[in-house]
Order: sequence, then C-alpha cells, then structure tokens
Amino acid sequence: MTSIQEIPESVFQDNITRAVEEVFRTMLSLSATHEPMNTDEKKTCLSLGTSHVVSTVGFIGAINGLVYLYMNVNLASQCAAAMLGMTDEEIVEAGDEAVNDAIGELTNMTVGTFKNQLSEKGFSCKLTIPSIVRGNNFQIDSISSATRHTYRFKVAGQNLIADLLIKPASE
Amino acid sequence: MRYKILSVDDSKTVRIIIKKAFKLYDCDILEGGNGVEGLAIATKETPDLILLDVTMPVMDGVEMLTKLKSDPVLKSIPVIMLTAEGGKEHVLKIAKIGVRDYIVKPFKEDLLVQKVGRIIDLKPISDAPAKAKSIFDPATILVVEDKPAIFAQIKDGLKHTPWQVHGVTSTGEAIDFCGRNAVDLIMISLSLPEESAFTLFRVVRTNLKTKYTPVFGLVVKTEVATQQMAQQVGFTGIATKPIDITELESKIAKAMNLDTSLRYFKTEGDTLIMSLPEVCTPSVINEVAAYLKGKVAEAVDSGMNKAVFDLREVKRLDMNLIKMLLTAMQTCREVALLYSLVGNGSLMADCKGYEDTRNWQFHENIEEARQNFQKQTASA
Repeated sequence: MTSIQEIPESVFQDNITRAVEEVFRTMLSLSATHEPMNTDEKKTCLSLGTSHVVSTVGFIGAINGLVYLYMNVNLASQCAAAMLGMTDEEIVEAGDEAVNDAIGELTNMTVGTFKNQLSEKGFSCKLTIPSIVRGNNFQIDSISSATRHTYRFKVAGQNLIADLLIKPASE
Repeated sequence: MRYKILSVDDSKTVRIIIKKAFKLYDCDILEGGNGVEGLAIATKETPDLILLDVTMPVMDGVEMLTKLKSDPVLKSIPVIMLTAEGGKEHVLKIAKIGVRDYIVKPFKEDLLVQKVGRIIDLKPISDAPAKAKSIFDPATILVVEDKPAIFAQIKDGLKHTPWQVHGVTSTGEAIDFCGRNAVDLIMISLSLPEESAFTLFRVVRTNLKTKYTPVFGLVVKTEVATQQMAQQVGFTGIATKPIDITELESKIAKAMNLDTSLRYFKTEGDTLIMSLPEVCTPSVINEVAAYLKGKVAEAVDSGMNKAVFDLREVKRLDMNLIKMLLTAMQTCREVALLYSLVGNGSLMADCKGYEDTRNWQFHENIEEARQNFQKQTASA
C-alpha cells in the first residue's frame, strides 16, 4: 500500500474539492468553487477577524486526520437555512444550536465523502462525531507531525476554508 | 394503515430533512438520537422500517443493528443505512449483519423516498379537496398520444365534463407533466414508437405520486394482442379506437371511482326523480340499477314518499330497460314509496306492445305526475 507521504498533494486537493462541491450541490443546491490561494493568502486565511463558525470531523484508521471547515456566521446561517428548508427569519429564530447542528452535519458529509475516496485507495478509516467552535479571535494550530493542506472555496460569494491536518496511522 | 418509519441519527438536521422528505406521505416519522434510543423506540413501537446512521455517540449504528438482528421480535424490521460512512470495506461489513439498502450521505430526498418506497407501500396523503369525487368535480386527465386527431377527438368529446384534458406526445413530456401536476387519470397510446407506452407505464407505477393513478391504454379495436399485453402488465383499462366517447366517459368515471348517480337521480321537494338518458345501453342500465336501492333508501330515510321515473328522453324500450323499471317499481312498493311514470308518445306506444308494460300509465311531465300524487293522497 502507498504510504501517506507518497500521496501527492493533488490527491487531497481533488478529493476535498469533489467532496465540498458534491455536498453543497446535493444538500444545499449551492455551487462551491475551488479558488486557489498564493502562499501569503494561505498564511492569512485562517486568521479570523470576524465572527466565525468552525466545524470539524476527524477520521481514524489507516490514515488519521481532521478536517476543519471555516465560514463566517452569515454563511453558516445561510447554509443551515438552505439545508433545513427554512427562511432567514426562521433560522434566526431557531438559534445557534440549529445552525451548529446543520453545519456539523454538513461537515460530517463533506469529510465522509473525502475519506471514502481515501478508503477506496486503500486507506480504510472511520469518521468521528462532529464538533463546533464559534468565535472571532482564535487560531487552530497543528502538531508538528501532521501535514497541513488549506483550500479556499467560494460559496454564494463568501469564503469557505477547508483546513486538512493529516497524520499517518500510529505504528 | 399508517406506516411508522424510525429515523436514528445524532443529527437533528438529518432527522428534520427526513421528516420533510416524507411529509407528503401517509407515514409517521419516529426519532432517536443514538442506538440506545433507537432500540428503545423500536421495541416500543415496532416500526415498519428503520433509517440508521453509523457514527453516533452512546451507541453507534453498527452496534444497534447487531442488537436489532439478534432480537427475535425486531430482527425482521427492514433497515436502510443512511450514513456518511461509505468505504467499501465498511459497507460490506454492515451488509453482512443484514440491511435492506445503503444510502451514502449526501443524499437527495427523492432518492430516499424512492428507496423507502421499494420496501414499504408508501401512499401519498390523500388530498381530498383536489381529488374528484363526483362527475361534477374537476379532474386532470393526461393523454399521451402522438396522433393529434385522436387527442382532439378525446378533448372535444369530453368538453362537456368538468375534466381538464391535457395532451403530450412523448413519454418524456408525460413524466415531466406528472412531476409537476396531480394527475387523476392517464391515457397512453399503445402505438407509441418502440413500445414506449409500456416503459412509461412502468415509470408511472414506480413513481410514488402516480403509483395508484388509473392508466388506460389507447389502442385500435382490432389489435387484440396488444390489448392483452396491456392487461397483463396491469393497465387499469383499455379504450379502443375509434373512440366511443360515451363509453370512454363511463370507463373514466368508473376508474376514478366517481359518483355518477347525480346523472340519473335528483330530489325535488318530497320527490325522488330518476331520469334516464336517450340511449339506455346495458352499461347505463347496470349503473342505474347499482344505485337504485341505495337512492330509494336514502330518499325514504330523509322523509320522502314519492318517486318519479322520468323517461321522456328515452328513445327505445327493450327488455333490459323494462326489467330495470320493474325492479325500480318493486323497490318503491317495498318501502311504500308512491311512484309515477313520465314519458313521451313513442315510448307510450312501445309499452303497448309488451305484456308487462301495456298497463303502465304515463304523465307528460313531472309537474303533472306530482299533481297526480296529490290526488292519490287526497282520495286515500
């Protein structure tokens, strides 16, 4: 079996792009487009200046990792409303809990689609349950042994960042 | 019977989506947030189907499925996995425990309903106000026919009814029309190219929206083999070309289970009036005969004591009609309902020629018949 170090970066990019596009199209009827970033943008895109919702789901098995989806609260509300078939007013009334649950599920589906592609390549792994972080002034760092890949997508004119932290399975 | 579907998923969002997907169908959605809750609800409610997620806290879907399959009471409940876990190895492992289907998230609501519909006989919630109940209620009829003259004949022939007759020329247009509209009856020309009528019929029957919609095959009278084939695959009825509109209208009403009694029976004050049409075919006589006892009983129950048999439109008397009228008279006598006959000159003359009818007394119109009742009552 190919080791994790031998997997080209393009595989991660293709897999996460396919996953984000498919989940947003199927569940929200929204198009998500991958928008390449230069080195500077990659460094700054995870510095949060405004209120954000960050959702994460991990995978454990022949390959371990975490995928974080970053979106501002407006995009999070918009996605939750589309997913639940609610109006903007209804989603405000439903509150943060409903948005968190919807974004958690959206991330679960995205990471599921991503890791299922890895499983087909021989890296069998299982999903973890989602968790959510909200705030406007925090930073998520990775440990040194993890490989980090960050991608930006445009959804309804707003940024969606997918941050992948990948680690080989423990010996 | 209302089906029960149990959704076991830790995401409230997924449970809401599932509820939304099935809201137009005659079923209840039960909810559990993990395997423990799922098993408890399954034990208490014995659902007809379970939609089960894999990754959940407390007890995951694989453990719940294993426990379910080892329970003698619950093991026969069909389970569809609905999960983001789609790796081949994982699917095979779960399939071995025993599931009826496997849906990998993300999913379209239509696909979910379709897969559930293959396991339980889902029925759309009856939209009573939109459904035709009597021949005077509006209904939507779709004619799938590539010959414009036939469609024009049907549309023109049924223009006196409240039914909206729509025509399309291909199966694609028909599927599209059925997706956008509630159709009460579909007529498909069996001479559409490449046997596409049969393909369309299968699509109509697998679509939950049209699963129970009556479907007629339109075919030339002499093409007996095609008619038999259509009947074998389950077409509700056959309408033969050249089209006999009266017969077609009667078949449509029957297939849509419409109350046609108002064509023949009405009430005026304390009198039940039965009016027969110009041509009393055997099917018309059977139809009237089928309503007769019920209508008479209904009249008596609501306090009426008179009946008029209005035969002014009838052109020809025959034995079938005579038998039906004799039954009607007998039915009235049994419940002490006074009755009178109203007829035309030609019919009165015909009556003189039969032993059973030569003594029948006719009035020229309903008013005269009703006045006669008053005289009878006064003299009694």
